[in-house]
Amino acid sequence: METYFLNNEDIPKFYGAITEVYDLYVPVKIESSVAPACQSSFRLPTADYLLKNYALLDKKENAVFNDYRCVEPTRVFFTYFKEEVCSYFTDKAAQEQVDGRPKAICGVKNCDIFALRIQDYVFLNAGEEDPLYARRRQNTLVISGDCPSFKETCFCQAFDIPAYPAQGFDLNLSPLTHGYLLDVDSDKGRAIVKSLKDKLSPATFGQLSGRSAKRESVRMRLDEHLIQHKIPKKEALQDIVLSGYASPVWQEQMRTCVECGGCVFMCDTCHCFLLSEEHENGLNKKMRTWDGCLFKDFTRVAGGANPLKMRYMRLRNRYLKKFDFFISNLGFQACCGCGRCIEVCPGKIDIRYILRRLYEEKYLPAH
Amino acid sequence: MKKNIYQPIKARIEQVIPETSLIKTFVLKPESEFSFTTGQFVELSIPGVGEAPFTPSSDPAIKERIEVTIMKAGRITGLLHEMQVGDTLGLRGPYGKGYPLDKFKGKDILIVGGGVGLAPLRSLLFSLFSRIQDYKSVILRYGARTPNDIVYKEALPQWGTKDKVNALVTVDVGSPEWQGNVGLVTTVLADLGIDAPSVQAIVCGPPIMMKFVNLKLLDIGIKPENIYLSMEKSMSCGLGKCGHCRVGKYYACKDGPVFTYEQLKDIHDIWD
Repeated sequence: METYFLNNEDIPKFYGAITEVYDLYVPVKIESSVAPACQSSFRLPTADYLLKNYALLDKKENAVFNDYRCVEPTRVFFTYFKEEVCSYFTDKAAQEQVDGRPKAICGVKNCDIFALRIQDYVFLNAGEEDPLYARRRQNTLVISGDCPSFKETCFCQAFDIPAYPAQGFDLNLSPLTHGYLLDVDSDKGRAIVKSLKDKLSPATFGQLSGRSAKRESVRMRLDEHLIQHKIPKKEALQDIVLSGYASPVWQEQMRTCVECGGCVFMCDTCHCFLLSEEHENGLNKKMRTWDGCLFKDFTRVAGGANPLKMRYMRLRNRYLKKFDFFISNLGFQACCGCGRCIEVCPGKIDIRYILRRLYEEKYLPAH
Repeated sequence: MKKNIYQPIKARIEQVIPETSLIKTFVLKPESEFSFTTGQFVELSIPGVGEAPFTPSSDPAIKERIEVTIMKAGRITGLLHEMQVGDTLGLRGPYGKGYPLDKFKGKDILIVGGGVGLAPLRSLLFSLFSRIQDYKSVILRYGARTPNDIVYKEALPQWGTKDKVNALVTVDVGSPEWQGNVGLVTTVLADLGIDAPSVQAIVCGPPIMMKFVNLKLLDIGIKPENIYLSMEKSMSCGLGKCGHCRVGKYYACKDGPVFTYEQLKDIHDIWD
């Protein structure tokens, strides 16, 4: 990995070099006055970041560096909400689907990169690659960044996921006072850097230690913020969801669930989908649509039997999938601590609280 | 261009055999040779309309044709029942792990079927019959609700006459013409004259039937690792991606659909 320094004033040129090859998506700040319900002593930010197509921005200066993850889960760039995965039994020539120019995504955070490991596991499974996902994953330029701040709902660090990426990106930006350190970790990233050579200087020792100090400061602040939530360590997760099968927490927490599916659709690690069929313009199509285990027919079979009849069973199922299934099969949990599910939930169902309850019921039964 | 994992091949309906008022067997001719091992499943699609998983009921040694026995139970199966000879279906697969025939060698094989659950078991029986010398014995216990609900009515009596094969059919509710056994399939599992600890038991049927048969099998001394259960789950993709068929740490479509009870015994609510 190579690390360079990029001046603030050269950022437009950096974007320009990317747009030569890619459709660039950049974070745009959306102000919000909704104060987070939080007992933390920090003044936590309330603004959000949305990803927008850079070429379509009215004011290019609206493209900003995001201090924490964007609203959209990164997976929206790799599988779409509803799309055709194949057309078949037709006389018409098979049309190779075209996505247009490859995309570059700025504003990716380490939680998103962690979540992409789950998506990769599902969709790039050896011998059974999902062709659309594989092509998009291969062509997309991932430009990540350190988190110099965090939202109230951020809890990556509770699972030992640092608030800055160390791998899994093409390019990574670490903000310093007058510019950014730019890490380059792939040939796609190197191709961009090559066209910017005169704007980049190798990172100095001072800049590197400045970055380390900033990262350490965020780590300490986030740790302090997370103390109040008492989130169990990742090593305990599988154990507590299994032993908490009969816990009252599921019934209790599902009371406010309105089955909107927000938690599963905003989740960066959720991947479930439904294959369905459509007939259009003489073509038979298999469509892949995002699905979610919080919906009542998710596990229903012909004849009407449904193992997850009740909402509390579906809520519990979601945790078993994330913290039992994935830990058993992949070695780590399917939760990156991005907190999007907490933020989106109109029923105020909070994953941090549920995990804490499961832990306390197992280890502090007198509680 | 890489193979598209979702792409079905054409399978023409060559024959439709009515089994009961709700069950039909479809004889399909795939456009190219189609191999599966017994117990694996396929996805059948009505082009542009819908798709559902089924386990073939035919002999896996036959590559040119596959047979699928389907009970009318929902939207897709209802539409399939309206399909005619000459119609074309989409066929994907095969998916999952089937029955481990190697482990069955030299053993007594006890096969317990319920209702349309005999379909995948018929495929297994064909595999066993073709190498019957490899097995100590094959015992079939099949239960249907009424005599009218029995599938493979013509073939069933012949199976019982084969060397080393012992077959018994029972119905929950008899009829005036029915001369066979009446009673749930769980009532015909005692006194089989077999060496229980080495018996390999294969069960397929509705969840409630599998639940009680499984209890009975454990009761007569069959080991959890020797009981093979077919789990009916809502398999959508068949590829371990769509997430619908999770059973504990397994996906029914990848790790199943055949599981040993040993694999499932610590998972909650497996029969729901």
